[in-house]
Amino acid sequence: MRKDRDCQSLSLWQLSPNAMRLSRLLRISRRDSLLTGMSAALLGGVAHARAQDQHSASLQTTDHSEILSQFMAVSRRLTDRDTLDQRIGAALCNGILHGNADRPARIQALYALLTKENFASASDYARAAETQDKAFKDVIHEIMTGWYRGVADGKVVVYRSALMFDITKDAVYPKTYATGGPFYWTTRPPDVARPAGQPALSPSKFVVEPT
Amino acid sequence: MSSEQNLSADVVIVGSGVAGSSIANELARAGISVIVLEAGPRVDRQHFVENFRNLENKPSYQGPFPAVPWALHPPDQQTPNEYLHTSGPDAEAYQQVYLRMMGGTTWHWAGCAWRYLPSDFELKTRYGQGRDWALKYDDLEPFYYQAEAMMGVCGPDPLVEDLGSPRKQPYPMEALPISYAAQQFRKLITEKTPWRVVHEPQARNTRPYDRRPTCEGHNNCMPICPIGAMYNGSYSVYDAEAAGATFVPNAVVYKIERDSANKRVTAVHYFDPDKGSHRVTGKYFVIAAHCIETAKLLLVSADEQSPDGIANSSGHVGRNMMDHTGVQVTFISGDDAWWPGRGPLETNVIDNFRDGPWRNERGAYLVHMVDDNQVDLATQLAISKGYVGRELEEQIRYLASHTVRLFSHNEGLADPDNRLTLNKTRKDVLGIPHPDVYYKLPDYTVRSCEHTRDVFRQLIGLMHGTDEQWTSGYFPQDHPAGSTIMGVDPKDSVVDGHCRSHDHDNLFIASSSVFSSVGTGNITLTVAALALRVADTLKKELVHA
Repeated sequence: MRKDRDCQSLSLWQLSPNAMRLSRLLRISRRDSLLTGMSAALLGGVAHARAQDQHSASLQTTDHSEILSQFMAVSRRLTDRDTLDQRIGAALCNGILHGNADRPARIQALYALLTKENFASASDYARAAETQDKAFKDVIHEIMTGWYRGVADGKVVVYRSALMFDITKDAVYPKTYATGGPFYWTTRPPDVARPAGQPALSPSKFVVEPT
Repeated sequence: MSSEQNLSADVVIVGSGVAGSSIANELARAGISVIVLEAGPRVDRQHFVENFRNLENKPSYQGPFPAVPWALHPPDQQTPNEYLHTSGPDAEAYQQVYLRMMGGTTWHWAGCAWRYLPSDFELKTRYGQGRDWALKYDDLEPFYYQAEAMMGVCGPDPLVEDLGSPRKQPYPMEALPISYAAQQFRKLITEKTPWRVVHEPQARNTRPYDRRPTCEGHNNCMPICPIGAMYNGSYSVYDAEAAGATFVPNAVVYKIERDSANKRVTAVHYFDPDKGSHRVTGKYFVIAAHCIETAKLLLVSADEQSPDGIANSSGHVGRNMMDHTGVQVTFISGDDAWWPGRGPLETNVIDNFRDGPWRNERGAYLVHMVDDNQVDLATQLAISKGYVGRELEEQIRYLASHTVRLFSHNEGLADPDNRLTLNKTRKDVLGIPHPDVYYKLPDYTVRSCEHTRDVFRQLIGLMHGTDEQWTSGYFPQDHPAGSTIMGVDPKDSVVDGHCRSHDHDNLFIASSSVFSSVGTGNITLTVAALALRVADTLKKELVHA
């Protein structure tokens, strides 16, 4: 009695939330197959999920250095940074391409715009992109979300290495990674002046979700 | 399929959260045999931490704790919900979240360990509202201290900062030093309003305590403290097991069996994940399965002897659903940078509205300035505003250092029409119905929330705030209470002042479900104190029998 009663599905806990989404699809597939005898519709759904996964895998293994190179160049301009981590960039690029079928063409078009003019700043470039095509705004949001939040295609690509933590590391720690010692929080953090910079893109609706 | 194995113990407990596990610990240490049946799995802290780090939606408190199919819990606070189905004028305001797994919902609490005020137990007598409890503050005071010692609660010296709940002993640990942000908030409130900011008592270590380390300020008390500096129910599970109690995970109790006279419980039956059925007998039974699940179990167990459910001769099982339904606003301060999110999540409170003569008309409340790391929110907000490049980075720093979030716990009121029932169509994989809750916010609480909004607007003005984002409607605080309400009269209550069922002599309920009123402070310490009082009663009856 002291020993835990284990069962097969408890292996759920060995998965990360990202993996769990796919696992859930596969788990339903197995159970429903056994109980109802291979529903064609469900198989179609699982096949689609597996195809998506294979698509993702092929993006990781196929040589797509050209689009990655374009993604990195666009990213450097949009972040006003001379260098960005190539490995993180590759993972973000994969996620963004996986999330929407038109993203390869969009990134190529953004790169074409970048090479057409010598933009002095991220804001100049983003402003010109939205002027050329309103659809670029969503792509730029995805690239900003990728680098600064570490999220692409709704999944965490990096947590601690997201740029939002790099630019605030003199004041706060990423949750679960505090290293300041007990009661570090009583000290005065750095002041921050009100920034004068203006948005480059048109605003989008943002709602603070209840927690 | 039924088990050949017949399990038995002196005391059988359903639920392994802070209530069930602390009772198990007390009884096992007294040499009493105990079996605890937990519907969900046993999972270790590292998995939750890993899940959190991989979660895209970091503010989702349920996110790191996905449910298993045989022990569903609400996946989020969305309406409609995949598990907890709410209806009524304020359906969205009762979208509670909780956990069904070993250790219970305190895996993702913030450690706020309030004692209720003496007046909270006498709401009807003092203010003509709601109901009185069938016990007084003084009855619970020794158990409050026992719970504080068990959890390791830090709090202020009452001679310096009296929180209104008389104490016979000081807090086990000194109060937590508050953050720079909280210091600035306190300074503002002290200098520019008639109110005050007090230290929030917390089950969090300000020194090494009970084998747990000092808090390092990871700012992640909810959803998961990465180092265990904050108490949660799993520690009482470990202690109870060390003392000899038996915990059975993945054991979903679905039936409560009684004797032919329907006066005593004789056994509970549980399903394992493969729907194998098992019977567990005992001398005493304690249902400690969270407010929602406790009422659900009593209703699910209805049979010919008790067609309306177990312990339900009053018809009040599932009624009187309460919460600290509140108000929430996030805004950008126009003053100096506070940088919230350095240190624990909730450390300070405006407590001026917890009690007063106006409670005869409107509910009490308390106000939290949430010390939450706002970097992710600031980043999303800055991107949505259209910033890129250097300007984006400046905005992120500014917004992260100037975002302020306020929310309130507003006092609910027992209303029999706010009711939990069983869903007629939706069932889990074991065939057990999902819970439904009808909820209309009592006018008493609506008036309290309106008062809170006025106070918040004053605070926003004092901080020269902009970009206000009010959570629409009312804000569920995940402090459900009242579903097996306590009272003196068996005709209109489910348990007596000792949390014993009026109907069944050997059945106790240890949960916020027994609360007769809900006050303003977080409910967990009162749940623990009531549970320890149940343990005390059981020890007396079993040891001295």
